[in-house]
Amino acid sequence: MEGLYKPELMRVVQVRQHTPDVKSVQIQFHNPERVDDFSFRVGQFGMFSVFGLGESTFNICSSSNWKGVVEFCFRRVGRVTASLWDMDEGDTIGFRGPYGNSYPMEEWEGKNLIFIGGGIAMPPIRCAIWYAIENRAKYGDITIVYGARTVRDLVYVDELDTWAKQERVRVIRCVDPGGETPEWKGEVGLIPAVVDRSKIPAANSVALVIGPPIMIKFTMPVLEKMGLAANDIYTSLENRMKCGIGKCGRCNCGPVYVCKDGPVFTWEQLSQLPPDF
Amino acid sequence: MSHVITKQALQATLAERVNQGHEIVGPVQLTPGLYIYQQLASPEQLALDGYIRPRNSIKDYFFPRHEVLFSYRVSAHDVELRDPEMHEQPRIFVGARPCDAAALPILDHVFNWDVRDASYNRYRESTTVVSLACTTHDAECFCTTVGLGPASDKGSDAMLLPLGGDTYEVRSFTEKGHALFDGRVEVSDRIAEIGAGPERKVDLESVAAFVKDHFEHAIWNETSLRCLSCGACAYTCPTCHCFDLVDEGNALGGCRVRNWDSCQFCQFTAHASGHNPRSNQSQRQRQRVFHKFHMYPERFGEFLCTGCGNCTRNCPAGLGILGTLQQLQRPAING
Repeated sequence: MEGLYKPELMRVVQVRQHTPDVKSVQIQFHNPERVDDFSFRVGQFGMFSVFGLGESTFNICSSSNWKGVVEFCFRRVGRVTASLWDMDEGDTIGFRGPYGNSYPMEEWEGKNLIFIGGGIAMPPIRCAIWYAIENRAKYGDITIVYGARTVRDLVYVDELDTWAKQERVRVIRCVDPGGETPEWKGEVGLIPAVVDRSKIPAANSVALVIGPPIMIKFTMPVLEKMGLAANDIYTSLENRMKCGIGKCGRCNCGPVYVCKDGPVFTWEQLSQLPPDF
Repeated sequence: MSHVITKQALQATLAERVNQGHEIVGPVQLTPGLYIYQQLASPEQLALDGYIRPRNSIKDYFFPRHEVLFSYRVSAHDVELRDPEMHEQPRIFVGARPCDAAALPILDHVFNWDVRDASYNRYRESTTVVSLACTTHDAECFCTTVGLGPASDKGSDAMLLPLGGDTYEVRSFTEKGHALFDGRVEVSDRIAEIGAGPERKVDLESVAAFVKDHFEHAIWNETSLRCLSCGACAYTCPTCHCFDLVDEGNALGGCRVRNWDSCQFCQFTAHASGHNPRSNQSQRQRQRVFHKFHMYPERFGEFLCTGCGNCTRNCPAGLGILGTLQQLQRPAING
């Protein structure tokens, strides 16, 4: 394949600011043919580039049902994200992808879905939530637990409200102790504790848990205590990547390439990998 | 019966190829004792004896250390991307040590699995590899430990085997090899006698098994205490292939390039958030051994090492993968 590392040109069509340092950007293909023939599966990621600064890896956080658009969400922390922060509608950026495996949405049909996200980990869960809501009849109860350090660190809050109005969808919002405001009506507590006390039915359920390593570490035992098997708990890893296609030698975690064999792994798979993430 | 060629006849053959538009790459003496693989200004530069092996490795000519992937030009809201000019000139790589030639079939796996890397394959297809069998070895050589040897034909289109004087037995293995030497060699009854090479230095099976099951072990700290994290091991290794993609230019124009990288650098796996899964040198040393002797064999069926010894010869701190493997052998055998 020629031009393996050459991105496709994309037009910025929407920019939303979620927090003082988090924005999401929707982009569309310059090439009208790609608008129709591009497809991906929720859970996959892409390489997003600002020319002159380089590429960053982000999950594609739009639903795969939204034809012709790709959305990603980022926190302003480095050079590429600082430049993406300044992008306006009409600007051009580069995109390579989709890469990696995906959430097994077909396997999850007929099951109750538990989504647990911490902080900036909402976007990689959001694509699966929209996908499930858009295919509502295929899935059972949906429980969404979303927390951040403070109220102002929560992202996609308007969509949480939209989801909460859907049938058989329960949304549990939480912030770390001290992160609440006088108006805050959600839970106060760390995610593992909030999950523990929320009495989420675990029968016939799968869980998707994404967040900082420390949150994952303490949430897993809670889910196992609730009765979820290790192969019914999924997460998505985010090792540093450059190529996204299993060549550059960077993202391996033990014997697996996170970019090719992942980023989505079950807790069972993850517990067999060395602690290299 | 064998085929032989003199150095003079070989140089005449190469000179003809140069006239036909070929590029010749081979070992060249830079200063007394320092040999490197580089493009020959003339076939007379070709150095076929007097050294164990060149300082660099064959990969420079298949996976360049710096390669333009595309150029970009920005105007208002639009960006124009341009493909670079690809290397089209046919090339003869002559005088590759068997431990260099063997790296190519090993690298073929990673550059071709799932999706094919166009640039690497273009160099592979347009290059004829003529290796040069070894008649000597040094303390750093351990080709026999990884299943190769001083006359291994792995990765070679043809091989020169020293007969003494300036005469070489020629063995051709592929169409490319035949095409280069047909009509250029003389029939002879002299067969090159090549020694067995270095003794086997490590029980690699037990080390590989140990590595697999001992991700956490005090030995990893021991193996890395002196390491400077300079990456000389990876840069002179024929099989290390990690790379970085970076932009060179400004907001108006420039290019995206692929540069060699090394798992020994502290920024290699650093996340933008500050989190780094391999934040200390022992974790990075472990990664290099793990990749070469567990992960790569598990995925592609062979070790990511040809036993060339370059990592040891070029390490400013006196480390190297052979010494590390020998260190690992201790707990691997004794538990």
